[in-house]
Amino acid sequence: MKKNVFIFVSIIMILIPAMLYAEGAKSIDELVQMYDDSKCKECHPQEYEEWQQSYHAKAVVNSLKGMRNFYAIGVPKEWERKLTKTEVLKCLDCHAPVVNYASEELAVKIAEMIIEAKDTKDENRRAELKKQLNKLNVGCLSCHNIKALSIARGLLGDPEPGTIYTSNMIISPAHKTEPVNTLDKSLFCAQCHGRYVAPDGDQIMCNTLNGSYYNNYVSRGGSETCQDCHMKKANRGHRFPGGHDLEIVKEGIGFEAEIQGVRHTVGKWIPRAIIRVALENKAGHRIPDG
Amino acid sequence: MVLEVTAKDNKGKEYKEVKSYYPIGIDLDGYMRYGAWQIKEMIDLTLQPKTIQKEQVIFEFDKDITSADVAVNVYYYISGKKGDKIYSASKHLSFE
Repeated sequence: MKKNVFIFVSIIMILIPAMLYAEGAKSIDELVQMYDDSKCKECHPQEYEEWQQSYHAKAVVNSLKGMRNFYAIGVPKEWERKLTKTEVLKCLDCHAPVVNYASEELAVKIAEMIIEAKDTKDENRRAELKKQLNKLNVGCLSCHNIKALSIARGLLGDPEPGTIYTSNMIISPAHKTEPVNTLDKSLFCAQCHGRYVAPDGDQIMCNTLNGSYYNNYVSRGGSETCQDCHMKKANRGHRFPGGHDLEIVKEGIGFEAEIQGVRHTVGKWIPRAIIRVALENKAGHRIPDG
Repeated sequence: MVLEVTAKDNKGKEYKEVKSYYPIGIDLDGYMRYGAWQIKEMIDLTLQPKTIQKEQVIFEFDKDITSADVAVNVYYYISGKKGDKIYSASKHLSFE
């Protein structure tokens, strides 16, 4: 009898955590705990500090308006569909990949929080909602685990929970590290910085850098990667500066102007200004990109 | 992104020409849309990589104008509301 009870309890103890993981996190805190980025800063303070300055660190709270419109208008009114985790992930799979591991109820609740954070007139409530939502972002583990293998899942399989995937060959003793040659490819960034194809086939055109990069830059002989300009040059690191950063904007655009005065039309001598301007796109994609 | 070329002649008359570079997202019915979920095609009016976009502007002044100040400004808009001047050039032209 005692043996049977022991076996039963053991099975329950194994099954319950597995079931919880399969069902997904029930709260934002539980979700964040599953993929806790705060541990990273202990050994990688510089990268963490750079990341905190990046728009990846505020990928949800900085994009509330667009996501609010999709969740409050696009899904229920235009598509006449119920807001489900599948629909919620059409934004958050990129803006907060960890939401892939949220329960159905939590994913929908997060979308409702996004709507309320945008719509509420109560400043305190908005601040509280934004504080909660700011826990969701494109964090360290979004790239170094959750999305690390996505561009070659057939070849590399699913990411292993707890493993840090990296593009360099430094093996850290602090965690299980696996070097992979996905993170330094433009296609890795293109997962989100390009036309997004949802699992149900719907295509979301948040921005189209990906198409511009491959079709108009690489096809004209361009060979630099997203990471070359947005991370490696000028030690930009994990700040990933882009259109919000005037330094990199100016670096990507060449400018020349010639202003000339002339008296035109023989005999009438009409004064004219002739202005010639040359704008060179030196980036690896269209400028600007929406 | 916006290229703005302006001039002001010695009598105070102002001249302006503006050229904008931007992508237009359009839906299945050909209407311009802002919602990413609505956009299924785009019209590309942006600066293309590895190319130089050349523009030419001519301002014709009244015959009795003796001078004009010309300015060229380039603004980068991260959103429709926030534009930063990233380049500028100017010149005083004398027709005397």
